[in-house]
Amino acid sequence: MPFIKEILKYDSLSIVGLEKNVGKTECLNYILSRLPLQARKVAVTSIGIDGESKDQVTATKKPEIYLREGVLFSTSETYYKKRKLVSELVDITNERSSLGRVVTGKVRIGGKVMLSGPSSNPALSRWIRSVRALGADITIIDGAISRLSLASPAISQAMILSTGAALSSNVNTLVRKTKYVVELINLPTVHEHLFKLLEHVENGVWGVDCDGKAVDLGLRSSLAVTASELKIPADIKYIYTAGALTDTFLKKVASGAGVKDLTLVVRDFTKIFIDEMVYRNFVHSGGRIAVLQKSRLLAVCINPVAPNGFVLDSDILCEKLRETIGFPVYDIVKNRYDI
Amino acid sequence: MTFKSVLDIDCGIRFLYDKLPLSSSSARKMLLESEAMKSKRDIDIRYSKLNALYNKNCGDIAGKLVCLKDISATIRRTGEGAVLDDIELFEIKYLAIVAREVSQLMEKERIAVVNLPDLSDVIEILDPDSLNIPSFYIYDSYSEELAEVRKRMKAITGFGEKALDDEQMTSLALLQQRNDELENGVRQELAHKLAGKAKKLEHTLKNLSLLDIMIATVAQMKELGLCFPAIAEGGETFYRGMFNPMVKAAVEQRGAAYVPVDISFEKKPVTIIGANMGGKSVVLKTLALNQIAAQFGFGVAAQNCCVNIVDKILFSIGDDQNAEKGISSFAAEMLAINEIVESIRRGDNLLALLDEPARATNPIEGTALVEGLLEVIGKSKGGTVVATHYNIKNDNIKRYRVAGLKDGRMDYRLIETESGDVPHEAVAIAEQLGVNKEWIESTKKYLN
Repeated sequence: MPFIKEILKYDSLSIVGLEKNVGKTECLNYILSRLPLQARKVAVTSIGIDGESKDQVTATKKPEIYLREGVLFSTSETYYKKRKLVSELVDITNERSSLGRVVTGKVRIGGKVMLSGPSSNPALSRWIRSVRALGADITIIDGAISRLSLASPAISQAMILSTGAALSSNVNTLVRKTKYVVELINLPTVHEHLFKLLEHVENGVWGVDCDGKAVDLGLRSSLAVTASELKIPADIKYIYTAGALTDTFLKKVASGAGVKDLTLVVRDFTKIFIDEMVYRNFVHSGGRIAVLQKSRLLAVCINPVAPNGFVLDSDILCEKLRETIGFPVYDIVKNRYDI
Repeated sequence: MTFKSVLDIDCGIRFLYDKLPLSSSSARKMLLESEAMKSKRDIDIRYSKLNALYNKNCGDIAGKLVCLKDISATIRRTGEGAVLDDIELFEIKYLAIVAREVSQLMEKERIAVVNLPDLSDVIEILDPDSLNIPSFYIYDSYSEELAEVRKRMKAITGFGEKALDDEQMTSLALLQQRNDELENGVRQELAHKLAGKAKKLEHTLKNLSLLDIMIATVAQMKELGLCFPAIAEGGETFYRGMFNPMVKAAVEQRGAAYVPVDISFEKKPVTIIGANMGGKSVVLKTLALNQIAAQFGFGVAAQNCCVNIVDKILFSIGDDQNAEKGISSFAAEMLAINEIVESIRRGDNLLALLDEPARATNPIEGTALVEGLLEVIGKSKGGTVVATHYNIKNDNIKRYRVAGLKDGRMDYRLIETESGDVPHEAVAIAEQLGVNKEWIESTKKYLN
């Protein structure tokens, strides 16, 4: 049973797909069917309207989530009424969606349900608090690529990435794209003193000099940078941007003289919105990026079948990915990993 | 007059509302939809209840009321005999449990300001196993067949330690279908049993919300130093040590001290004259605020007071530009005041508050317009208070003036006076504000 033991070391997990139909739900079902529920109480939800029985974009059939007895799950009122399992309603939250309020149930007899839970970071934090109060030890969030920010380490300690032929039918492209995301997820964290210095900085662009002092660089955000604006004093070692890190900003920093002695810092990898080529050029010219917080990537799961029917060779894909990213890679559906 | 409709009167009522520490959204909704109380009996009963709560420890009850949700739609459906889904049944059970817990806390603290019906029959219906926890599903004990079906389902699923084969999946799906049918049957029975309880549930929700409002009101009275008013029907209204909580908070934040005022009036119109920045408008606003407070059962912003009940408050601020209708501020004001005049002459019981009426025209006609207004209004049931800079000559009115500048400092107190002579302090105040010196010198030349 790959990576199940790993999951037990953490109390929050999110599963993120790099594209629709990359097998995220199978991956979730795999985890939910194998976690030792006698030992740990599990709560699960899904972001927004991910989890409907038919994919809204490609109209391919999406598997429902199978939940075992004892699992806590949160979904919309509409989906709760359509559940195919026996469950006890334990909480009605104040979160609302187009499918009604988000409610939490506890499975009495295993079966299937569609999940559609809270859809913002603060709402997910509230959800985690509410299910912990109901006794959950591990919270699992079924994420969505369009909402990658919801996989942020502020919400989940650990993470599983799901990728596949839906992202690209070219093995090399698929591997390259996946590798890039894995690289960002695994960016190093800053030293503890720097973390403490920047942890509560909510906006602006800041420099940190050799003495560990923070200097406001006078920008509202990295988006506000123009040709004349960014002046980096010579003794600055770190540049922290509290918001999104963009191509323009990165190019601006890379064009400066002292890029080799500089480290760019962002809150976490979900704040990075940089084209791969720009990133590679930056790294090539000696630039570095670090994060304040990091999720532990536990595994990468693949689905070799694309929604248009195109199938990649699972073994080759697994092997190639494993080689390139240096991480365990699994095809959950093909190998089943029976108990 | 609903609370929602008076909330936009610029008098500081929104400040009280925003600061009201309500626990539940249900209480907030009830408050917004509530009507002003118009009988002395109703208002007296409300304040005697607040008085009874005043020295009680309501912290635990307020903590419980946080869980109170507005389920009036569900209760209405219950009364109509509709078949409720699990979420609705949960809501009802939850309300009944919250009510029971609040009831127990009230007993412990010897609080009896609202009456909470006994809902043990509802709890019994929705908690057949007496588990006493606020969760709900169609329990096995509702139906023997259901229990049997579920036993068979469980035999297939186990604890989910094994993956199910296709055959097992098919039988599970069939059993699930039967389970759903039986659950629906139980829900119909429950709907039948609960239909008669809707009145009681409605009453419970209403009274819990009211309790929440009253607990929050008492907490606010203590926090802001508000008082219990005496209530009169057709007598004198008086305030001693009246203050405006919003203005007071702003003044104290600046590190200054707020000066409370005394004022009283009956049917005879009242004028307030005084220097600019002497607090005339604040007095009018506070009169509006306190009238609203008294008739909605809030604490009143004064040391002590007696408030005469009115049916409505008409407050003319006099500077609304009605650009949409294409009329000037003067025209808009005249029409607004005309509404007040017509209403008073019809004999309506209203408190009329007018801030510098006819200020936007020449002082000669302006003065005459106000004098004419006071004469035509004459005595009014709810009272009329007018702030003005004009030298009003009418007899049969009561006059106040702001004590005014003394040694370069403003004394905001109101002093009853016989003469209508307006103080001449405008230039001194402008000078204090530090406006252009040459302008002041030139003005003084013209005054002489």
